[in-house]
Amino acid sequence: MSRPRRDGAPDMEGALARYLIERRMSRRQVLGRMATLGAAAAVGSVAAACTTGATAEPEPSGASAAPSGSPAPTPQPTPESELYVYNYADYIGEDTIPSFEEKYGIKVTYDFFDTYETMTAKIATGDSGYDVTFATGVDVPGFLARELVQPLDLSQIPNVVNLAPEWQDPAYDPGNQHSMPYMWWTTGYGYDTEKIPEELTSWAALWDSRWKGKMAMLDDYRETFAVALIRLGYSINTTSDSELDEALALLQEQKPLLRKYTADDIGDLSSGDVWLCHAWGADVSQAATERESLAYVIPEEGGIRGSDAMVLLANAPHPIAAHLFINYMLDAEVSAANTNYIYYMGPNEAAKAYIDPAILEDPTLNPDKAAIDKLQEILDLGPDLEKYQTRWTTLRAGA
Amino acid sequence: MSSRRVGDLALFMPGMGWLAVFFVVPLIMIFVVSLGSRDAYGGVVLDRLSFDNYLRALAPAFLPTALNSVKYATATTILAILVSYPIAYWISRYGGRHKVLLLVLVMLPFWTSWVIRTYAWMIILRDNGVINGILGGLGLTSEPIMLLNTDLAVILGMTYGFLPFAILPLYVAIDRVDEAVVAAARDLYSSGRGAFLHVTLPLTMPGVIAAAILTFIPAIGDFVTPDLLGGAQTITIAKVIQTLFLTDKNWAYGAALGFMLMVVTVVVTVGTLRVLRREVIG
Repeated sequence: MSRPRRDGAPDMEGALARYLIERRMSRRQVLGRMATLGAAAAVGSVAAACTTGATAEPEPSGASAAPSGSPAPTPQPTPESELYVYNYADYIGEDTIPSFEEKYGIKVTYDFFDTYETMTAKIATGDSGYDVTFATGVDVPGFLARELVQPLDLSQIPNVVNLAPEWQDPAYDPGNQHSMPYMWWTTGYGYDTEKIPEELTSWAALWDSRWKGKMAMLDDYRETFAVALIRLGYSINTTSDSELDEALALLQEQKPLLRKYTADDIGDLSSGDVWLCHAWGADVSQAATERESLAYVIPEEGGIRGSDAMVLLANAPHPIAAHLFINYMLDAEVSAANTNYIYYMGPNEAAKAYIDPAILEDPTLNPDKAAIDKLQEILDLGPDLEKYQTRWTTLRAGA
Repeated sequence: MSSRRVGDLALFMPGMGWLAVFFVVPLIMIFVVSLGSRDAYGGVVLDRLSFDNYLRALAPAFLPTALNSVKYATATTILAILVSYPIAYWISRYGGRHKVLLLVLVMLPFWTSWVIRTYAWMIILRDNGVINGILGGLGLTSEPIMLLNTDLAVILGMTYGFLPFAILPLYVAIDRVDEAVVAAARDLYSSGRGAFLHVTLPLTMPGVIAAAILTFIPAIGDFVTPDLLGGAQTITIAKVIQTLFLTDKNWAYGAALGFMLMVVTVVVTVGTLRVLRREVIG
C-alpha cells in the first residue's frame, strides 16, 4: 500500500485503487506489469497489457505459509463459510489469504480501499457488509464511540499471547478489547543517495532549494503538518492556533520547492521523479526493491509513528469466521510472512523468529526502543482537527 | 388534437421523471446541505441553516485555484477543438465507407479505464519516461526535462481525455454540410480556403459550440487529471471540493463550493452561447 492516508487525501493512489478494486489486483501487480513494458512499446500496449492483466486474479499459491507456532482456537461454533475483509492494497503477505482459505475452508472476499476516508465513509453506514477492516490505532476510540466496531471475544483469539507486552495493552484500546494490532510504522523521508550524495539527517532537507522540483511531501495533512510542527519544536498534536499558523507559514514557504504532494510515495521514489520524499519507512523499503540507491531517514529532530489495528465491524455478518481470521493473522509465521512481504513491522513478538533477519536488523524498519521513544504519535483531535483541515486547504489552494 | 397532446405528454413524462429524480432532487439536496454545517465527526448538521459557507467560499484564498481551473479548462477546450476539427473533417470528407469504423476508433479509448489511460501518460511523461528516454537517447538533452507534474502535462492529459467529446459533435456538424453548397462557392470563384472560411466553418459553428461546451464543462470539473498529472502548484477548484468532502469531511462547505462552481459554469455557458448565437448563427 502507500501508507494509510490517515485523513489525507490521495488521489493518484486513490484513482488507481478504484480501478484495482474493480479488478481485484494489487497495485504491485499493475505497476509490475506496466514496468515490464518496453518504453517504446509502452504507448501502444499499456492499455492492452492492463486489460489482459486484469483478468489475472491474485493466484492462490500452493507454497503457502502453513500457520503454526501457536495453539488453535478453542473449538467453538462452526464458522460461517464466508468472510469479507477490507484493507489497503499491498498491505498483506502474498499467500496469507489463500492459505487462510485453504486451512479453514472459508471463502474470503478481500477488497482494497483506495483511501482511508473511503473506508471510514463506507463503514459509517453501519451495513457495509464487511467483517474485518484495518483502522489506524488512534482512531479506534472514535470508532467505538460511534458504535462502528464491536468487542472481540478474546477467548477465540488465543494467539494474542504472541503480541509483545506493550501491544497487549495499547493506550488506544486497553486490553485489546475492540481491536488487534496489525502493523506499525514510522514516517520520515526517503532519498536517492545517487542523486543526493550527502548524508541527510534533518527535516530541513525538505526545505533545501537545491532540490527544488525534485521533492515531494505526503498528500496527508496530519503527516505534513507534523513535519512543520516538529521543525518548529511544537507538539504534532497541538491545537494552538498561533502554532498552527506558524506551521502553515513554514509549509507555504516550502510549497514552491515541491514537485507535488504525493499519494504514491513508493511510485514517485522508485520512478526517480522525486529524489527526496516525505514517506513511510516501509514504503521506502518497498520502493528500494526497484531502486536500490534509496535510503530512509528518521530525522534527528524526531519522526512520527503510528499503528494499524484489525477491527470487527459492528454489523459483521460473519463474526465467527472473523475471529478465526484475526487469530490467524496473529499467528507467528503468518505475521512474519506479512512483514517479509510488505516490510512493515508487526507487534508480534513470536513472529520475530520467522522474520527475515535483514528486516529485523534494519534500524529504519525496526528501530530500537530508544529510537521509538523519540517518535511522536498522531492522535485523534476530534473537532479540533478542523483547525488542521482549513489550514491544509489554504495551503493547497493558495497561489 | 387533444389526444395527440396527451400522447406527447405521456412520451415526455418518463424523461421528466428521470430528470426530477436523478437531477433535480440531488441538486436540491446539495443546496440544502450547503446551508448546513459540520459536526465533530464530519457529519452534516442542518439545525441552523445559513449562507456562511458561501461567504467563506468567496474568500480570496480560492481565487488562484479558481483561475487555475478556468485556465486549464479554457486551454483544453481550445486545443481539443483545434485538434478535433481536422480529424472530424477528414473522417467526414474522406472516411468513405470506413466512416463508422473510424468513429468507433475515436471511441475505442473509452473501453479502457480513464485512470489507466492517465497512468499511461505518467509513464510517457515522467523523468525516466518515454519522451525523456527518446530525447536523452538521441543526445538532445543531458538532463531529463520535467514534463510530468506541470501545467503542460495537465492540459495535455485533459485534451487527450476530452478529445472524443469534441470530435463527435464536430463530425455531426461537418457531415451535415451539403457539399453542393461548398461546390457552389467554388463555382463562384471562391478559393478552397475562402470556401472553408466563409461556407464550411460558419455552417459548422453550432458543432464547434457544442464541442466547446461538451469539453469545457467536464474539464472545469475534472480533478483526476490535475491530481495525477499535475503537481504541487497545479491544484484546481474541483480538487479543493473533493478534499473538502473526503479529507476535511466538511460536506456543507464542499457542497457550497460545488454549487457555486455549478452556477458559475451555467451562467458562463449560457452567456457565451447567447453571444455566439447572435454573432455566429444570427
